[in-house]
Amino acid sequence: MITSTIQPPPSDGDMVGLHARGPLLTAFGLAIGWLVASGVFSLIAAIQLHSAAFLADCEYLTHGRVRALAETSFVYGWAGGAGISAVVLILSRLGGNPLRAANWFGAGSVFWNLGIAAGLVGIATGDMTSFSLLQLPRYVQPLMVFASAAMGIAGLLAWSGRRRDGTFASHWYGVAGLVLLPWALTAAQVSLLWFPMRGVLQAVAAAWYTEAVIFLWLTPLSLACACYLAAKLVGRALPSYEAAPLAFWMLIVVGTWSAGRHLVGGPVPAWIPTMAVFSFSMLLYHFAVVGLNLRPVFGLSGSVGSALKFGVGSYLLYGAVAFLACFRGIALRTQFTHFASATEQLFLYGSVSMILFAALYFLVPQLLGRGWSSPALMSGHLAGATIGVVLSVVALGWAGISQGAVMLEPKTGFGEIASGVRPYLLVNTGAQLVLLASNLLLAVNFLRSLCSCCQGSGVSTALSEGSAS
Amino acid sequence: MKNGPLFLFGLLVSAVIAWSAIVLGAHGQLGGLTPWFDDGEGKSHPARPTGLAARGQLVYADLGCAACHTQQVRRPGFGSDQERGWGDRQSVARDYIFQERPQIGSSRIGPDLANFGARKPQPPSAETLLALLHSGSDRHPAFPFLFETRKIEGESSARALKLSGKAAPSVGYEVVPSERAVTLVAYLLNLNSPYVYPEAKPLVRAVAKEEGKK
Amino acid sequence: MSSNMDSNPGRGVAGASDDSLQAEHEKLLGKQPDEKGHYRLLPLNLLFLLSAFIMFSGTYLGRFSGYFHPKVYNEYGLPPKPGADSAAAAVDPIALGKNVYAQVCAACHQPNGAGLPPAFPPLAGSEWVSGSEDRLIRILLHGLQGPIKVNGVDYVGVMPAVGPGSGYNLNPEKVAAALTYIRKEWAGIDTPVSAAKVAEIRGKDGTRQPVTVAELEKLP
Repeated sequence: MITSTIQPPPSDGDMVGLHARGPLLTAFGLAIGWLVASGVFSLIAAIQLHSAAFLADCEYLTHGRVRALAETSFVYGWAGGAGISAVVLILSRLGGNPLRAANWFGAGSVFWNLGIAAGLVGIATGDMTSFSLLQLPRYVQPLMVFASAAMGIAGLLAWSGRRRDGTFASHWYGVAGLVLLPWALTAAQVSLLWFPMRGVLQAVAAAWYTEAVIFLWLTPLSLACACYLAAKLVGRALPSYEAAPLAFWMLIVVGTWSAGRHLVGGPVPAWIPTMAVFSFSMLLYHFAVVGLNLRPVFGLSGSVGSALKFGVGSYLLYGAVAFLACFRGIALRTQFTHFASATEQLFLYGSVSMILFAALYFLVPQLLGRGWSSPALMSGHLAGATIGVVLSVVALGWAGISQGAVMLEPKTGFGEIASGVRPYLLVNTGAQLVLLASNLLLAVNFLRSLCSCCQGSGVSTALSEGSAS
Repeated sequence: MKNGPLFLFGLLVSAVIAWSAIVLGAHGQLGGLTPWFDDGEGKSHPARPTGLAARGQLVYADLGCAACHTQQVRRPGFGSDQERGWGDRQSVARDYIFQERPQIGSSRIGPDLANFGARKPQPPSAETLLALLHSGSDRHPAFPFLFETRKIEGESSARALKLSGKAAPSVGYEVVPSERAVTLVAYLLNLNSPYVYPEAKPLVRAVAKEEGKK
Repeated sequence: MSSNMDSNPGRGVAGASDDSLQAEHEKLLGKQPDEKGHYRLLPLNLLFLLSAFIMFSGTYLGRFSGYFHPKVYNEYGLPPKPGADSAAAAVDPIALGKNVYAQVCAACHQPNGAGLPPAFPPLAGSEWVSGSEDRLIRILLHGLQGPIKVNGVDYVGVMPAVGPGSGYNLNPEKVAAALTYIRKEWAGIDTPVSAAKVAEIRGKDGTRQPVTVAELEKLP
């Protein structure tokens, strides 16, 4: 019934405005660069998990530092950079006007990436903050606030200057992701770095920030992309859409109350972990409605469709697994084990990254004005990423469960535990290798598309310089 | 959600409320924690870390030791923490009040270190720890960059490690721990909080006592 | 469909235009009353789901909140009773007394209670220790001056006051605990000296000069 009203989009490709292409393509290119870099770090970290001596005698690559490097370049460099750019682009398309403040976006993106580069050097030389997901050294932290705010301004202007009066789900999620990151970063920096709270309160504030990155930043960014892509690819309105606003507010309002799930059994009063179960069981409503809204994507085919399908599916699975792991009886067996890394991998890679891959494959052609140069590389990349994510999540999850079971046996020493999980960790190393290789395919494909575009249509050569990260 | 300013206001208010409830709420409850003065012992707990140990914590943090070691003991009966000799009571907020950057950690690829300086029957000696840091083991990476291998000039240094086998330096050379290694080891051996605060008492015992009174 | 379309998903897929996409969804969210004048509600099944989640989370929070108390670390725990926190109530008087003895008394009377003649009389086997509680309390509260005969030997020395307001400023609990420990250790008396009694005598006598043996002998 709805399809009948849909008109073919004649000028869709030109709506963003030529001036915005450079900054956006640069930002995408740099994000892909960070993705590849984080793949290298993750691979080193994965090898160190089963062969402790690997590169650990290099001061810059101790296991702790490599983990921080991998996490930072992935979350801020890749997911943040690509997510913010994709959302700004989507907001501008939905607004129906050429992107305003594109130079703000460009400048913000340059400083964002410079900040990450400086921060990674800082982490390697021992300046990390030791708070999960907030590892960037304190001296680049303020820069990240301003850079993310500057990038967000372009999105906000596109949203407030939209042609239509009403809004779409991607508007809410996108604007939330753009607005709340600078705020959450500021709150975390004040309470952890500038005026550090006392003792264990730092752990509480850091856990809260972890939740903010997950539920106030990366989830909104990726859901903004997912809703937009789902509506575009399926060509029909999202089902059960009338429930979407409440699901959105549920995420924003109760999402970060679940900070205590990182502190189960820890040195905090009982109400903090209990509050996590409270908030996560309310969040189940959010997950249920997102599942209902986006269920048409499960009928999609084609590379982009399968990536989106996988991403949405992983998000729902993540909700279920994380909900269960909030409970003390289950956390007892899963916390402090590889299971936590598996859940994180499921969210960051399986959900956020896969949705962003789909967004990238969908949106970049609109910026280039032509398709990706190699469909083979594209399907190779997505196939590799899917295999890699499944392998690493299953291997780490399995390792975590068996590790958690033997940890409960006080007689089992750590040597025995480690040799027990070694086969799974080897599989995980293989998976990281596959992921790295597949991401190289993405990088090559992106560069090739960019080059052929520059040669073909003579778009300014400045583009290719920026993306050669 | 057509009303832009109202929408933005709603976003920020939701986030601020959640942050205030969790972070400021916990701060209101625990921010003013004081050391516990035990009349019987005439001492207060926890003790401040020694100067070396406080500096060692920064080394611990910048090497990222927390990626594999936690520093939080779960209560007896919840996991095998007690049976593994990591501590007889659960860690509570008061344990960390003097720590500049608490490293409670979230992953136990290695053992918990919250009471490392109080291992039974006796904690490892500083020499053992330095040797482990220098040469590593099957499961523990080596951090040779925390040490200096230098030519012995005159008498060999009193601080030089006594290494044997493969790890031993060639003749005429000695391995001396750097200041970072020394502070890190001082920190590890300073990790010790056996005192049972009232709030840290295992629940079972408290219940039994109450029943006894009745 | 193909590789061409696959390589160029942004333009090739037959999807909604950005404008019509939004129009469709706005229609779904429109809050216009329907024919009967009712506003659109959540579908019943979602409403049911939502209330189920709210009920579960509320119950769970109520059950395991630990009363939102900062000192409850176990979700099954109860908040501590007011006053239960004060250390004195929890401390074993013998342990406390031993500690006070070691810090304050042992320098003169020696850790084993043997004293140090000719100035410091022994506690072990002393008839004063096994004797009147009232006299002992006054010696500790006010100090003792002048000669004293213990086990048939004369000692001449000055014992300073250790109670409240003195140089040692021990509170009544600690004075009582020290006496309890001393009497248990060297006279085998199990009855503890109560802090209330110490406080009462301190209240009656106030701050005064050290007592003498003559004064003490007037007491029961």
